[in-house]
Amino acid sequence: MKRPASEEGYELTLGEPEGPAAQVAPEAVPATPGEWVRKNLFSSFWSGMLTVVTALLAAWILAKAIGFVFVDADWSVLKANLRVYMVGRFPLEEMWRVWTDVYVIALLAGLSRGVQPAMPWTLRRVVRWALILGVAVAVLLYLVESSRVLIMLAAAVALMVAGAAIGRRLGRVLRKPLIFAWILAFPFVVILLRGFGGVKPENWGGFLLNVIVAVVAIFVSFPIGLLLALGRRSTLPVVRTFSVGFIEFIRGVPLVTLLIFGVFAFELLLPPGLRLPNIVLAMIMFVVFSSAYVAEIVRGGLQGVPEGQYEASRALGLRYPRMMRSIVLPQALRNTIPSMISHFISLFKDTSLLVGVGLFSDLLSNAGRATRDLAFVGLEAEALLPAAFMFWAVAYAMARWSQRVEKRVGVGER
Amino acid sequence: MTMAQEGNGPMILAEDVEKWFGKFQALKGVTTSVRRGEVVVIVGPSGSGKSTFIRTINRLERHDKGRIVVDGIELTDDLRNIERVRSEIGMVFQSFNLFPHLTVGDNITLAPRNVRHWPKGKAQEKADQLLQRVGIPEQADKYPAQLSGGQQQRVAIARALAMEPKIMLFDEPTSALDPEMIKEVLEVMLELARSDMTLVVITHEIGFAKEVADRVLFFDEGTIVEEGPPAEFFSNPKHERSKRFLDQILV
Amino acid sequence: MEVVATPPRTPLWRNVRFRRVLGQVLFMVLVLFLVREVSFNLQFNTAARRQGLGFGFLDSQAGFAISDTPIEYSSTNPVSRAFQVGFWNTIRVAGLGIVLTTILGLLLGIARLSPNWLVRKLSQGYVDLIRNTPVAVQVVFWWSAIFLALPRIQESVSIFDVAYVSNRSTVLPWFRLEEGGGIWMLSLAAGLLGAALLWRWRSHVNERTGEPHHRVLWSTSALLAVAALGFFVSGTPMEADVPDLLGRNYLGGVRLSSEFAALLIALVIYTAAFIAEIVRGSIQAISRGQHEAAEALGLRRGQQLRFVILPQALRIAIPAINSQYLNLMKNSSLGVLIGFYELTRVSKSIITGRGNNLQVLLMTMGVYLAISLTISLFMNLINRAVTTRGVR
Repeated sequence: MKRPASEEGYELTLGEPEGPAAQVAPEAVPATPGEWVRKNLFSSFWSGMLTVVTALLAAWILAKAIGFVFVDADWSVLKANLRVYMVGRFPLEEMWRVWTDVYVIALLAGLSRGVQPAMPWTLRRVVRWALILGVAVAVLLYLVESSRVLIMLAAAVALMVAGAAIGRRLGRVLRKPLIFAWILAFPFVVILLRGFGGVKPENWGGFLLNVIVAVVAIFVSFPIGLLLALGRRSTLPVVRTFSVGFIEFIRGVPLVTLLIFGVFAFELLLPPGLRLPNIVLAMIMFVVFSSAYVAEIVRGGLQGVPEGQYEASRALGLRYPRMMRSIVLPQALRNTIPSMISHFISLFKDTSLLVGVGLFSDLLSNAGRATRDLAFVGLEAEALLPAAFMFWAVAYAMARWSQRVEKRVGVGER
Repeated sequence: MTMAQEGNGPMILAEDVEKWFGKFQALKGVTTSVRRGEVVVIVGPSGSGKSTFIRTINRLERHDKGRIVVDGIELTDDLRNIERVRSEIGMVFQSFNLFPHLTVGDNITLAPRNVRHWPKGKAQEKADQLLQRVGIPEQADKYPAQLSGGQQQRVAIARALAMEPKIMLFDEPTSALDPEMIKEVLEVMLELARSDMTLVVITHEIGFAKEVADRVLFFDEGTIVEEGPPAEFFSNPKHERSKRFLDQILV
Repeated sequence: MEVVATPPRTPLWRNVRFRRVLGQVLFMVLVLFLVREVSFNLQFNTAARRQGLGFGFLDSQAGFAISDTPIEYSSTNPVSRAFQVGFWNTIRVAGLGIVLTTILGLLLGIARLSPNWLVRKLSQGYVDLIRNTPVAVQVVFWWSAIFLALPRIQESVSIFDVAYVSNRSTVLPWFRLEEGGGIWMLSLAAGLLGAALLWRWRSHVNERTGEPHHRVLWSTSALLAVAALGFFVSGTPMEADVPDLLGRNYLGGVRLSSEFAALLIALVIYTAAFIAEIVRGSIQAISRGQHEAAEALGLRRGQQLRFVILPQALRIAIPAINSQYLNLMKNSSLGVLIGFYELTRVSKSIITGRGNNLQVLLMTMGVYLAISLTISLFMNLINRAVTTRGVR
């Protein structure tokens, strides 16, 4: 089954190269460590040389990195700006909204994880998780001064674990309700921030802003992208031309320019008197941008549905809406899941482009501005690396999750 | 006085049907009629237009010239006519075209429930009956991928029958099957032929044609070159082209 | 024979063809309505802000300076000139970036497939790290945390005394063409022609007699021989231009601004990670059956790669690589974050304090679109050339 090439190629996956490329390391039945070393690192003279050179290089880089992180770096800029990095200027008294959202997501995440079949606790896995947790706890203890925050974080983790336990107990029964829960969760999260006398979007900032923008963009762009994809495949020439034109225009243009356009020129096209906050204009551009890419992904998925499915449906007398709803789209959309996840990861990373407009306070903007404070001049690396890490951690985690989803969806009973 | 009375005229009437694909003319004036309850087998080399022809009967392809009338309803650009015609015809495809994401039962009940608006219970009962009839009871909860090719095709036949059609069209139903599964599908088709269903079947299975066909149509290069009862056609073809074709397929 | 009489005329609303036309008409009406609304809004809004909708501003003075520019420019030049600077800067960084990232990406892709575990794992680490970090973060990082942190020009870091880096610029050695350079160029052209002819001749020999053609060997040695000969005959017209640090300035060499260097490096490193995965993925996608068939035929390793594996892998890879080239070109717009005057940065300067945002930004996006289409067109030709030999 041919999958549409995603924009960034995430479906060419992470992890060990599978597949039969004969150049990859020989199949494993490594008897002893000694044998393994000989086979994989020193199989020939040149291989040995390569191993030595790269090992030295890697060791040097590692030493420099560790030296920097633990000795040279002055992390005061991070400690002082932790809240700004996470939520920008979100008012303190309204933080309960953010925390509630975090708990809801933690619970859902735990439940979803629990519903999946449990993975075996190999030594490798235990060690890996122990390391991750150990480092995370150490870093948090070092950086976070408020014990209240630490306790709230611990509660979130506990909630996730509890969710996993409940999910494991209830099992497959939860699958369908969970899907609905996730779909409802996103509007809920956004509404909770704003609704009931909440915080205006102009005051959302930091990592929170990046997450919200990404979520809103993917959500709203999905139906639009779907319509565009159907439009592109339409047999009505006018509809098709318009769809193709729109999609190709958006895809040919950098997102930053779209954002700048959105904030500095788009308003001219809107009814006079309609004043939208800049962040909303930016979100609209993200939605527009995302829908073009979603359209291409869905189009690929539609192409993967055999013509015979359409024929059988028409022969049975099914009308177009029913045919799309029950026969074509379920198959088409299942094909697109890996590409959609990949697109979402890219979109999340692209929210950092808000810094290009210069008027926003997302994570990258705040990290960039942190060194304007006289106390933190010269600490650019210390200011940027944590931001980089946060983006990286989320993207990496989602990419690995996507791999697992791919395996599951590919091997269904269907 | 615009519609023929049911029960009087032919079930399917084709008059001078022509069809182009771009510059290529696939059907060059096909005229024939099929009586109620008749079993017509269509043979011919690939590219001869036989597939195109039966697909024009249920509007999977639109004929460019000529007339097609099904059970008194003329097939035009009128949406209502098209839908009425389709509701009287069931079609079985060479590649089955079962819906892979639905169970066997859902495959069969989908159309009755959504087009004829049957209640779920009635549709499921019908599905069970049909599965029984085609010889694979108790498979309603399986997915197509779990069944063999022969079983899948039989499900496809049941799916088409669920709409209670008067006519069944078969487009090379056994060509994609492994040899050992052809028989089970042909048996189902035999049973259908012996009931009073009108069948139009494209196939290479000469044995089947000889046993049940009332008439054989030989298609070549977009027209019906010759037709007649199977006994006559297979043993005594009149046209040069028919002879050549039969030489090739009958060893 | 009882037959149906001519049926009544189908009511329009049930006629399938009519419905199709109607669908299109309705859609057009909707689009036209939207267009009308938007143009009303536009006229009203621009009038209210006392802005114009014309392109006259292109002739007005730009009013801002650009230090890193490949063409002559000063702040008194018209806006159109500033646009050109932005365009050429974009081409500069994108063009060089595409070349460099292809090389790096290829090397990394090969490393990803290496039988050596360490090399494989390290390249995987590189890919996992770089791909998942936003490119904007990487650009800002390279510029502010690395290049800006370099010492001032007076205390430039020297690299083997042939190159220098400081927080404002990077200078690299280059070459200078002297007298006789023209003659040498001509001889090079002749050499290329000769090499091409040799290539064809050896191919013919191979077809006729089956003798291995060694055409790469023949052609390249001929080209090198002619080039060397021409070089000496024309009086060694190429001089190395090694920069020198004199107090607060450099003499000689080619100078790259820090902004340009930071953007280039960040883009190259970022895109290479994706190209590496494309290279790896496309080679691994070739099914085992192909390897086995090629081996069973007795083809040697190199021949297997050349005749069976790589051609098929290229077919898969080229569209994906095209996508990455486009991404790199579009990501050059990140120059706006670090003050590199590529097209987006220039357009931002133009709209500050002026009132023609819509025109400026539409023009900018139009230029990007044109560049995108050009790159895609070119890659399509390559794709066609690679794939029409033989089956799809």
